[in-house]
Amino acid sequence: MMLLKITKSILLHRVSLFAAALAVLSPSLSRDLFSDDLLQFNRDIRPILSNNCFECHGFDPNKREAGLRLDTANGAIAELDSGDGRAIVPGRPNESKLISRILSHDSDEQMPPADSGKSKLTPKEIKTLQTWILQGAKYERHWSFVAPKSSPQPKVRNTKWARNKIDYFVLERLEKENLDPSPAADRRTLIRRVALDVTGLPPTPSEIKRYLDDDTSDAYQRMVDRYLSSPRYGEHLARYWLDLARYADTSGYQYDRERTMWVWRDWVINAYNQNMPFNQFTIEQLAGDLLPDAQPQQILATGFNRNHPITIEGGVIDEEYRTEYVMDRVVTTSTVWMGLTTGCARCHDHKFDPISQKEFYSLFAFFNQVPERGLNGFTPNQKIASPLAEIQSAESLAEIENVKQKLTEWKAFIAEPNEVESEKWATSIANSKARGWEVLQPAQMSSSGGSRLEKQADHSIVAGGANPQKDIYEISAQTDQTEITAIRLQCLTHPSLPGGGPGRHSNSNFVLSEFELVAQSVVDPQKKQTIRFSKATADYSQNGYNIANTIDGNIANNNGWAVDGPTRKQPVTALFYASQPFGFQGGTRLQFRLRHEATFATHGIGRLRLSCTVDDPASIESGGIPASIRTIAAKAKEIRTPAEIKQLAASYQTVLDARKKSLEAELAQVIAANSTAYPATMVMQELPKPRTTHVLKLGQYDRKGEVVLADVPQVLLPMSETAPANRLGLARWLTDPKHPLTARVAVNRHWQRLFGTGLVKTAEDFGMQGEWPSHPELLDSLAVHFSSSGWNVKALQRLILNSATYRQSVKVSTMLLEKDPENRLLARGPRFRLDAEQIRDQALAVSGLLVEKLGGPSVYPYQPAGLWLELNNRPGYSRAYAASKGNGLYRRSMYTFWKRTVLSPMLTTFDAPGREFCTVRRSKTNTPLQALLLLQGKQYVEASRNLAERILTRGGESFESRIRFGFELATARMITEKESAIFARVYHERLAYFQKNVSAAESLLKIGDSPSNIELDIFEHAAWTEVSRLILNLDETVTKG
Amino acid sequence: MDPRSESQLIENRRQFFGRSTTGIGSLALASLLNPQLLTGAAPSMPSGIPRLPAFAAKAKRVIYLLQSGAPSQMELFDYKPTLKALHGKPLPESVREGQRLTGMTARQKTFPIVNPPFAFKQHGKSGTWISDLLPHLSKVADDLCIVKSMHTEAINHDPAITFFQTGNQQPGRPSIGSWFSYGLGSENEDLPAFVVLLSKNSFYQAQPIYSRLWGSGFLPSNHQGVKLRSQGDPVLYLNDPAGNDPNGRRKSLDALAELNRIREREIGDPEIRTRIAAYEMAYRMQTSVPELADLSTESESTFKLYGEEAKIPGTHAANCLMARRLAERNVRFIQVFHRGWDHHSNLAKHIPVLSKETDQGTAALITDLKQRGLLDDTLVIWGGEFGRTVYSQGGIGNYGRDHHPRCFSVFFAGGGVKGGMSYGSTDDFCYNIAENPVHVHDFHATILHQMGVNHEKLTYRFQGRDYRLTDVHGNVVKGILA
Repeated sequence: MMLLKITKSILLHRVSLFAAALAVLSPSLSRDLFSDDLLQFNRDIRPILSNNCFECHGFDPNKREAGLRLDTANGAIAELDSGDGRAIVPGRPNESKLISRILSHDSDEQMPPADSGKSKLTPKEIKTLQTWILQGAKYERHWSFVAPKSSPQPKVRNTKWARNKIDYFVLERLEKENLDPSPAADRRTLIRRVALDVTGLPPTPSEIKRYLDDDTSDAYQRMVDRYLSSPRYGEHLARYWLDLARYADTSGYQYDRERTMWVWRDWVINAYNQNMPFNQFTIEQLAGDLLPDAQPQQILATGFNRNHPITIEGGVIDEEYRTEYVMDRVVTTSTVWMGLTTGCARCHDHKFDPISQKEFYSLFAFFNQVPERGLNGFTPNQKIASPLAEIQSAESLAEIENVKQKLTEWKAFIAEPNEVESEKWATSIANSKARGWEVLQPAQMSSSGGSRLEKQADHSIVAGGANPQKDIYEISAQTDQTEITAIRLQCLTHPSLPGGGPGRHSNSNFVLSEFELVAQSVVDPQKKQTIRFSKATADYSQNGYNIANTIDGNIANNNGWAVDGPTRKQPVTALFYASQPFGFQGGTRLQFRLRHEATFATHGIGRLRLSCTVDDPASIESGGIPASIRTIAAKAKEIRTPAEIKQLAASYQTVLDARKKSLEAELAQVIAANSTAYPATMVMQELPKPRTTHVLKLGQYDRKGEVVLADVPQVLLPMSETAPANRLGLARWLTDPKHPLTARVAVNRHWQRLFGTGLVKTAEDFGMQGEWPSHPELLDSLAVHFSSSGWNVKALQRLILNSATYRQSVKVSTMLLEKDPENRLLARGPRFRLDAEQIRDQALAVSGLLVEKLGGPSVYPYQPAGLWLELNNRPGYSRAYAASKGNGLYRRSMYTFWKRTVLSPMLTTFDAPGREFCTVRRSKTNTPLQALLLLQGKQYVEASRNLAERILTRGGESFESRIRFGFELATARMITEKESAIFARVYHERLAYFQKNVSAAESLLKIGDSPSNIELDIFEHAAWTEVSRLILNLDETVTKG
Repeated sequence: MDPRSESQLIENRRQFFGRSTTGIGSLALASLLNPQLLTGAAPSMPSGIPRLPAFAAKAKRVIYLLQSGAPSQMELFDYKPTLKALHGKPLPESVREGQRLTGMTARQKTFPIVNPPFAFKQHGKSGTWISDLLPHLSKVADDLCIVKSMHTEAINHDPAITFFQTGNQQPGRPSIGSWFSYGLGSENEDLPAFVVLLSKNSFYQAQPIYSRLWGSGFLPSNHQGVKLRSQGDPVLYLNDPAGNDPNGRRKSLDALAELNRIREREIGDPEIRTRIAAYEMAYRMQTSVPELADLSTESESTFKLYGEEAKIPGTHAANCLMARRLAERNVRFIQVFHRGWDHHSNLAKHIPVLSKETDQGTAALITDLKQRGLLDDTLVIWGGEFGRTVYSQGGIGNYGRDHHPRCFSVFFAGGGVKGGMSYGSTDDFCYNIAENPVHVHDFHATILHQMGVNHEKLTYRFQGRDYRLTDVHGNVVKGILA
């Protein structure tokens, strides 16, 4: 079998050596590995039926042939539609049509049909089915759709080996197979394994020494804990999450331009380092914005579902792409939290899993409520500070704290009803001099572009008729007020407007370039005054189109105020504050000019209303208290009617809430002002009025079917009746400890990370086509442990890392390799190639080049010239890759600028995904291109030179002590004499070569931007650089063992 | 990787290798133990003759010249004398049938038809109509099979070119070349199965392309296309760093292999052996790739055939010549990307430039393959991601043409496809297909068929589903097969 195994490997090798897969090939985890006599439906039968039968005899009624379904017991034992017996007769395989049709040689009879593209069942599969029917054909619910239960600790013969509960499950299985676990690996191997697994970096010599010198009984646990508390842990764990979250620094599709989501990436690092419980981690990323009193950091977390690609290709149909973004969210969220391939139900009912197309669109409805566009859909977004930001200054922090304090106090105050206070308030408004807003009655109106402006009963003006490219509205109104302090402009919606919002454009946006006002005396028309505004505010401004642009005297470059009409569709209000109170005795004619002069055509305001006030600018509110409430307030308390009391209370509540809102806004502003360096991060948001979700026929955006409401797949767990039918409800449902999938899927991914393969190998598919777990009771016990530990992520890993299972040696005998090539039985420790990022980070770390800094904008390490422009050189849409200078070349690889369409070759060559979509498992390939990169890449040659320098300056004087030092840096192991001799041979040969070729040595030492130590002998330095290249290319170096 | 599909794959490969599995196995084993045994040996692997599907491969390799941006069919291959009388007249609504338009012309009020200002003539024994813009291709007219009835579903570049390359409009599926790498493997010990050549573009508004177009999607990532570049190292990181010599390189590699073998004996992990083999192959590539990329050995008559431009690395002509060299070395799937056909305005000014850039090299490639006896088993494909509208985008003055997915022309040559024929036709307006429509899935099914693969059988299990290049569609276009 050993030979067979190799032959298989060679087959791959020969077929595509570019291709020789690292993944060890093996038969599937079949019944061979199980010794039980009684067949289990989930383990033994379902995979056969699912793979061969369910496509036509399964869950999807539209594709069901002959009315037969084999995915349920009732379906399988029912009388066939043909009247020709039953598919399954329990206990009687010979009478079961299922068997006779599979055995049939008649092409009309034979199952699966020849034209189905499916192969015939193997004799073994047929035998399995027969045995199962003979044993009574018991069906079971699909295992992963039933909530996990913790199993009691299994009994084992070897009572010395196990260190924790994990080991009992593993050992029980090994004993059944008559296998012994491997002995524990030595300490050097263990510390390297743990350091790489927990921090992504190799252990330093001093860390190794500390562990070797620790002779207490819990030395190992303490070593593990030291690594778990390192901030490098957060970086390393976040890196795996970024593959799932399809995080990138560009927007994908064809132009693939830069985006800024790195503040969200920092959130992930921080969450891991804070050991945020996984349920909170889930809820904040899926629905942080919907939490009561959502904090900026919780809103930031929702960037998770805005990481999908976004197109800017000019001709696309907006809705087509918006639909794709929502699809991406459904598919990603289902995969990451449930290991479900819901995407299969986009076009039709799922073929294998009980998820109907309708249920898919019910999930879709949760994510369909974002006010976003398909083309250039980069809003909503928000400027939020990175949680990793160094605390900027005591002053700004104090400022933030001050507002926070006020807000907290206010919230406490309004939490309790307070009659004394409310009566005080009533008295104050009754006595107030505040007059509120006087709505101006338009006298004359004209449009420069020929629009028809029509006065409405509420004194608002609706624009209609011609819809010119540019338009200036001139509106005049008269008032008797004299000390006017501010003007209010309300932009309202109207049924006659095309897009449902306040603008005239079909997308319902407008751009107001400038707002101007001249006051004229009615008594003496010669007296005119151009009003200067000191400030303008609005309850909403589109990013880049702030209200302040309307009073800056500038209309060039589309400078103006806009309101995200296409997505927001809400009325907006702007306030313009006069720098001096104005108004003439005897009446004032106010002449307004509203200039719409941006290059966006037909972007006029659709309906507007103007008001003025004489109130103190400090107390002006856009709404203000209506006169009717003031009248009620003026009445004595005793004579107010119950209805009046209610009205007054409601009004008071509005005031309290307004204060809270304004404090919150102030807090956000103060924080934003102190984080001006942070770019806007795309975040989730809900439309004020939900978008209707339809089933989309064949998954196409323009083929709307029946209307559906947000809901979860029924087969898993019903949603709590009190839960809101939105993303928050969904997130809480996912993190309900009774949910059958969430904890299992999460635990399994940690197992995959540490052991190379999950307990369920198909970590992305826990459905019926997914693989049966190698250790079902272990998976379930870990899942229960995880959720009941308060979803403690570090504790889960600590448990696994401390197990005897994890600590085993990787040495493998021919016999064991033959029996269990993929190490699914876990009779040895995990050994597999490091990921792209780890390989590079390790080279930087051992050479001393690594620059450690948590978070911040992405960086640009070396890459060969021309890689970006050769794919895209369109002016205005492209740029050349500009490598970082200095530190940016040497940061951890997770900070490398992730360009989806042209990923850094240092990453992609070692199987890093482009992140155009969610990736659960990376390939692990073994190719010549990897050898070329590690041997010849500038980054690695430079790292070799620096490693050589480190060896020469710190590795002692003799060759032996130097190679021992360098080898330990990379492998944590003590080199053997034999190995040392091989390095010595290379060293001496190279030294002689360089001594004869001075310029060769000089040019080798010039590679890379870091300065070369000129105090070193150049021949020695060059020869050691060559030795160091070998060290960095060793299989042992690039492998976790 | 799903073990079931992996074991299926091994099954398949056994079938691909036919009865000689044992022989290859032991030969390969020898090469692993002493890789130099095979160095220089002629790549004489049996080609894919899968038992299932039961037909022999007509083509052993594909050269696909992808014309990104979408060339106009009216100006090049789909001769429409009927347009002369319609010039300037609006396209009747009855023809357009309210079909969806791109965001660029959706708001256009009228759709004036433009008759191409370039003459067409009949060429070859077949009398194939070809535009005067393509004088060289006109000379090989009898080798071309022009499909005038291609159609697609996407109307914008990114989804359309992704559809052609992966069978799906959204990112995530393996590219056509990676399917071949996965399914048929490499026939060359020293070169990858799937090589990508990018030609430099001159058109300032050229649409970008992206590595997903030669990516491996959910297939193992070693099946992605390897770029053979015209600047810097032909394959990334191919060349030794400054200060190295070949002698030292060999000795270092021997030392590395020795160290790795010690480790293998210690640990017992067979994967170490694969790594040693990969390093050996990298070493061989350091010889084979520069030799491949070096055009100086080509004769003057070759450069006369391909044109002087072929001497400039990265031109379409140079890449066509490189494609022939790759074909000679039995690289399975060779793809050239040429950008710049997206002419929304001033089409009559730009299309002659693009035609000139590509015409001679393409014709030379066909001629050259033919004279070397390679055309019979090399399938050459030329085409864009969709067509262009018969009406003008904007006024007919400096007319341009918008994207048109409903009909366009591609051509095949060699590889068991009939030469000197046209397949399918469009209506008098060159707006709709009149007969024999060929969908993108059919196009893929046909290419796979010519390579001896049943498109319904080449599958990969991902997320519980067996995926195909042709999804659940596709019919082999039997009418063009020789």
